[in-house]
Amino acid sequence: MATVTTPILEEYAGGTIARAQVGLWRDGFRRLRRNRLALAALIYLTVLVLVAIIAIFWTPYNPATILPNTLTFLGPSAGHPLGTDDLGRDLLSRMMQGAQISLIVGVGTSAIVLTVGVVVGLIAGYFRGWIDNVISVFINIFYGIPGILVAIILYLILGHGLGNIMIAISATAWMDMARLVRGQAFSIREREYIEAARASGARSGKILFGHILPNSLGPIIVQATFVIPIAILTEAFLSYLGLGIPSPLASWGSIASEGYAALPLEPYMMLWPAVALSLTLLAFNFLGDGLRDAFDPRQRR
Amino acid sequence: MPTRGTLIYIAQRLLLIVFTLLAVSFLVFITVHSLPGSAFESERVHGKALQLVLHQYGLDRPILVQYWSFLTSAIQGNLGVSFQIRGLPITPLVMRELSVSAELGGTALLITIGIGTTFGVLAAMRQNTWVDYTLTSIAVVGYSVPSFVLAGLGELIFAYWLPTVTNGAIQYPANWTGTYGTLVELSLPAIILGFYTSGQVTRITRAAMLEVLQQDYIRTARAKGLKTRVVTVRHALRNALIPVISILGPLVISIITGSVIIENIFGIPGLGKEFVESILGADYNVTVAVFTVYALLIGIANLIVDLLYTVVDPRIRY
Repeated sequence: MATVTTPILEEYAGGTIARAQVGLWRDGFRRLRRNRLALAALIYLTVLVLVAIIAIFWTPYNPATILPNTLTFLGPSAGHPLGTDDLGRDLLSRMMQGAQISLIVGVGTSAIVLTVGVVVGLIAGYFRGWIDNVISVFINIFYGIPGILVAIILYLILGHGLGNIMIAISATAWMDMARLVRGQAFSIREREYIEAARASGARSGKILFGHILPNSLGPIIVQATFVIPIAILTEAFLSYLGLGIPSPLASWGSIASEGYAALPLEPYMMLWPAVALSLTLLAFNFLGDGLRDAFDPRQRR
Repeated sequence: MPTRGTLIYIAQRLLLIVFTLLAVSFLVFITVHSLPGSAFESERVHGKALQLVLHQYGLDRPILVQYWSFLTSAIQGNLGVSFQIRGLPITPLVMRELSVSAELGGTALLITIGIGTTFGVLAAMRQNTWVDYTLTSIAVVGYSVPSFVLAGLGELIFAYWLPTVTNGAIQYPANWTGTYGTLVELSLPAIILGFYTSGQVTRITRAAMLEVLQQDYIRTARAKGLKTRVVTVRHALRNALIPVISILGPLVISIITGSVIIENIFGIPGLGKEFVESILGADYNVTVAVFTVYALLIGIANLIVDLLYTVVDPRIRY
């Protein structure tokens, strides 16, 4: 039931105000639009994505270049709106590159988690039996192991690189998604419409991806949205420790770390990544909350 | 009195913890041994001398044999010796660091529950007013602002702008003077760590309070003429705390994860700092030991929380 289709018979509808049928998605987006915080978050994130896209083609200066004749720790000025860092690199350019990296890591990790978690969860919840037992025991054994510890070890093994940092963060994050999807598949496969689909000869693949997945999309999207800030925060922390994105690439985490080192000299250098990270994480969390209220009505607070 | 079912449940859970420890220690052991670099690289020992050192620490044996000897001595409480600080026994080291982390984490847990339940109750009592919106927004801000950002801000304020407030006890760059730190030194990291997780408690408490306040027995209590404060605290809050206990498990995990970050920022000599240092120094035994201790802590914390749940809510049986 991807749409709320309550057929109202003519004679039934007589006394009531027959409300126009609204699909789940349109209904959800209507609720999302009314949520001002979520809307503000969406606008902020759109701007951030635009900045990241612009940074592919153009930044005021080369973010990695140590500019000749430029002073280090230059305060904000017309030439350098956010100032320069400890090596005399333009901070606005570096922040723009950082936005790119944060978004790639956040969305990329979420995509990996989504793919792995959905496939594993669907298989476990739909086929049950030994395969579910194996998956559930595996998840139960590793449930609760702090993701950041695993990410640190894995990232050092895999070596530097954006792809590797996403894999390292996904290594534990997929399990929450798999648990969620498994639970959804578990309950949805008992519904009458699944029985009807099976009776009319639908194959497992069709039932899984044509019926069970669309009907659990709400909670899945919400969960996938919440993975993004977790991934961004983990990457920022790894880079803060010097274990993340290698220099001279700029990550908000590494700029914050350099800013922390320069804190008594120039507090503003820590200020930019601090504000950017906080706002971005806040926006993704507000958006996730809004999506949950809009698309996952059973969980509504 | 624990029933037979409860005892079987506890036994099952303990078995799961044992499996977790075996799996985690094995995987981490294998993984860290494949890390590039070694603890002896910087020592300028080569050739025969290196062979000798490796032999001394048993590192020239097949990896499975190494794991087996680690496991057999770990069961007897001996976690092996450190490579970085040559021959230092790890068990007492880890125990001391565990107590430091527990001091930080325990304080943070108290702060989290204190802030979270207070905010949650206040928000629920004033639902859909500016009080509610402010408190729930603070909750989201709490877990959105990275702790290293708060740490930097805190140090800027207390080490540079207002050093007189703490009498100069909070230094920049942050580093604990003693093993356990003074109360002032402890306060800033513990508050930042506690604030980070308090948001979850606020939300759960608020939602639970809203639900409980709708119950018939609350109306009855009010109808009896009890004061709002008595109804809130004795009738509503008590029942609203049940869901809060259910998230204590994830909360402990969040605090442990957060403490890894906080300890590294504030230079707190706990497990989290040791973990990062041991990985960077290729001190395999320490890495495996710290990771296994974390897994054990989390397993036990989850078990205690589940059992606590049956105590506060007798309807739940295992």
